[in-house]
Amino acid sequence: MTDTYDPLDFEFEEPIRISPSVPNKKKKVIGLDDLLEDHAKEQKRINERKSKRKKIKNASDSEEDEDAREKELSKCVDKCQKEMDQINDDDEMPLWGIQVFGDQRTFPALEHPEPRSCFILQSIMNNKLNSLVELTIEKGEPFLEGLLVDGWLLKLIFTQGQVEKSISTWIFNLMLYSSKEWLRKAACEFWCSILSPEVEASSSDIKIDWLPSYSDLKRALDIYGYLLDSPSKCSPDIDMIHADSDTAGPPQNIRFWIKYVAACCQVRNTHIIFSTSEAEDFLGVIISLFLDRQLLGLSMILNACMYSVISFFKEEEWHDSCERVTKSLGCRLPRDINCLRTVESISGSNGRSKHLRSAVAKQFLIRCLQEKECDAEDILRMLISINVKDKNCDLSKMYIYLAFARKFKAEYESKQKVIAKEEVLVISSALTELK
Amino acid sequence: MDNPKRVAGGAANRGLEENTMAILDTAGFNSSKISHHLNDDRLAFLEAVRCASLLSCNGTAPTSIMFEAVFQILKDEDSLALIMESYQLLVDLTKRFPRVYLSKTEKSESSSSNVKSELVVVQEAWCPFSFGLDNYNEKAVANKQLGGSVDSLSFHALLQEVVKASKERKSEVVEIKFLRNMLLLQYLIIIFEGDFLPRNSAYQENMNWTLLRESLLNMLLGSRKIIYKGFIQDCLCIMCDLSFDQTELSSEVSHDSRHSGDLSEETDTALVLALPELEKSTCTVLKKLVLMIMELDLSRSMADLQGLTTRADGVRTPVVDIILEELIYNSDILLSFLQVFDEPKWKLKVIEEYFQKYIPKSSVRTRRSNGQVKDLTFDGVLKCFSNSNSTKSIIKKLSIEVAQLLLAHAFQAYLSLSLQHLPEGGSELKEDVKGSSLAEVCKNVISAFTSLRREDKDTEILPFGKEALFTAATILLTES
Repeated sequence: MTDTYDPLDFEFEEPIRISPSVPNKKKKVIGLDDLLEDHAKEQKRINERKSKRKKIKNASDSEEDEDAREKELSKCVDKCQKEMDQINDDDEMPLWGIQVFGDQRTFPALEHPEPRSCFILQSIMNNKLNSLVELTIEKGEPFLEGLLVDGWLLKLIFTQGQVEKSISTWIFNLMLYSSKEWLRKAACEFWCSILSPEVEASSSDIKIDWLPSYSDLKRALDIYGYLLDSPSKCSPDIDMIHADSDTAGPPQNIRFWIKYVAACCQVRNTHIIFSTSEAEDFLGVIISLFLDRQLLGLSMILNACMYSVISFFKEEEWHDSCERVTKSLGCRLPRDINCLRTVESISGSNGRSKHLRSAVAKQFLIRCLQEKECDAEDILRMLISINVKDKNCDLSKMYIYLAFARKFKAEYESKQKVIAKEEVLVISSALTELK
Repeated sequence: MDNPKRVAGGAANRGLEENTMAILDTAGFNSSKISHHLNDDRLAFLEAVRCASLLSCNGTAPTSIMFEAVFQILKDEDSLALIMESYQLLVDLTKRFPRVYLSKTEKSESSSSNVKSELVVVQEAWCPFSFGLDNYNEKAVANKQLGGSVDSLSFHALLQEVVKASKERKSEVVEIKFLRNMLLLQYLIIIFEGDFLPRNSAYQENMNWTLLRESLLNMLLGSRKIIYKGFIQDCLCIMCDLSFDQTELSSEVSHDSRHSGDLSEETDTALVLALPELEKSTCTVLKKLVLMIMELDLSRSMADLQGLTTRADGVRTPVVDIILEELIYNSDILLSFLQVFDEPKWKLKVIEEYFQKYIPKSSVRTRRSNGQVKDLTFDGVLKCFSNSNSTKSIIKKLSIEVAQLLLAHAFQAYLSLSLQHLPEGGSELKEDVKGSSLAEVCKNVISAFTSLRREDKDTEILPFGKEALFTAATILLTES
């Protein structure tokens, strides 16, 4: 930096700098050193021009001039230092996280299938073999639980090729409402196995008398205390209200709820469980679950679930569905740092995930800028028009905007090279201002 | 065509590396409340790596230094968000940029359009392991600087830590370290898997033992730094502890968290929600590890038979033998092992070998083929229980409970196998399933239990046995 002798440009001491002369070579990663070099070259050129001019004007009082400049420089540095300290002190980025689950409601009572009406149990009781099993009507319930937990029920269903209604509703309710881990776990494994054919014999042969519907799953979500179904409920005060509550936060059953939704979405070919709009709704729900810090440790199953819901849609449905999901997320979620988390949580690397990620970013950006419908260029124009030097400009908001723009851009890049180029310039210059 | 893109193009990668690593640079920090910012930076770093390698259209694999940094975050951090994020990122990267994979090349001219798969090993790819010089991979060691930092000793140490933590779970407060160790273990086993599976299937095709000899798994097990038997025992321990206690634990913990007000911290709730899930997946992953070792043993014994192995390969007791020894001398573990280990093929094999040790040789003598004494099959076992004398002698050596348990579990494994092969028809039936029809086996299971009961009238049939009987009876009813 020795050859860039220009006091007024004190701020350029910082190495993270993007000059307008960024070489826009395709796909080349611009290293920080490259930027620095470019910047140095640029400065050298400017300096040379200036000094030439100066030489013509006045060559003698260059020393006095230098003193004045030095003073000016140290003043600026001090001022800058103060500002930096201020930024360090009070400008902390808020943490993401909203409470997605409030109070749990009372769980419905678990109804065991009536052993007398249960086909599976009944057939054996009249049989001579019962002398060994010693099954009675009274022992029917615990016996059924044992069959389920130890995996025998699944084997029976596969050999018989049919699940009767009383059994399937019972197991479904165990999965969603049982407080016993081993029961809900076995119940979830049962349902996932009879739905997805890969593990055991082809499940297409299995006749399932009763399939849980969308409303059954929504009801469970409601009982778990899910708050984001109506936009009005979602306010930042919500965590205040429920903070000390005994039953705030989702029950362990939410894990199986998530897994079950994932399983349902994978079997669209064999079982019609959700309609397209219902799947759209679940996609929104799954994405919103990423915002609750209580569910942070479940990100693996959430990711898997998001992936299978995204792959649920048929090719011709995807575009419109994606748009509707995006819109509803835009309405439901608060417009702050949480939006950024939302976008980042859509982390899949397949085409649809990327598309969704970009669309959600765009949607939030539009909402944040309080516009209705606009395309990429309009957004850019608006971003450029924000004056970051204005005192009223909220820098943390600006940060979020730019982060959105970047995420939204990632998808666009491949499609519209020209816009992308422009965008790089806008974003980089804005970032420069921000620093 | 579908080969993952992995451009070695140095300049671009170096630039990427510099820029992303700069995020982790702490040079600018001087305040005391630094940790919050550091965590933010690390999250931003992970996000940047994800964007650059996974989300951009032509992303390249991160450089070793970047990989190392991500791995370091998983190893050392205490923040739940960072641990989850770095784990997910590492797993996604491993999937997208595998170090070892099979490429299907169609050699139409030479081998008459036979689709042959060829094993590709990306030597320069990052790997978390370095098994040092006591292995055969000297060329690789010489060629690249090994970026990995986990050796056989530290892998075993990690395993032991998880063993310890899973034993003490009930008494202690849920710890983030336990969670982190489980995820670390899972990731490392995923690496073993990604390395072993393609090698093993390539070996099945071309019988090139070197491929498996150089597999990470084989290097780990052959390492003289660890005690192999202890290693297997630890694996079994984790599998059984994590699956067995889980039930009481999770309900207890969630109970606790509701009543002690201090635990209302979000992270604690998150841990309480996450732990049962992670314990289950850790258990599954360890099961995979044990299964891989079993498959490796199988391939190894094939290689031994064909004279492909050399003295340098050393000798190693097959894992099934070690497991059997454990099960026989430690009957506590037997019940939970049988419950957890649900891969039917190997489960049936383990149980058959268990019986083999206790059934007098004279009654085992079944068919002979190629002059070799055939292993005992499930059918053979059931036949032993059909006559009173051999039943008596078995019960004398084994307890009646163990006999019931083994029988019932073998029946369950048998059912799984027969169900798996149902759609393909009779052509590809496994040896174990061949022989008798399902109905016959059900009948034999019932008669085996009946004769057990006859020998000892006071003993109740175990619940698991009753369930097996019920299943057999119901199948008989529907079949007839």
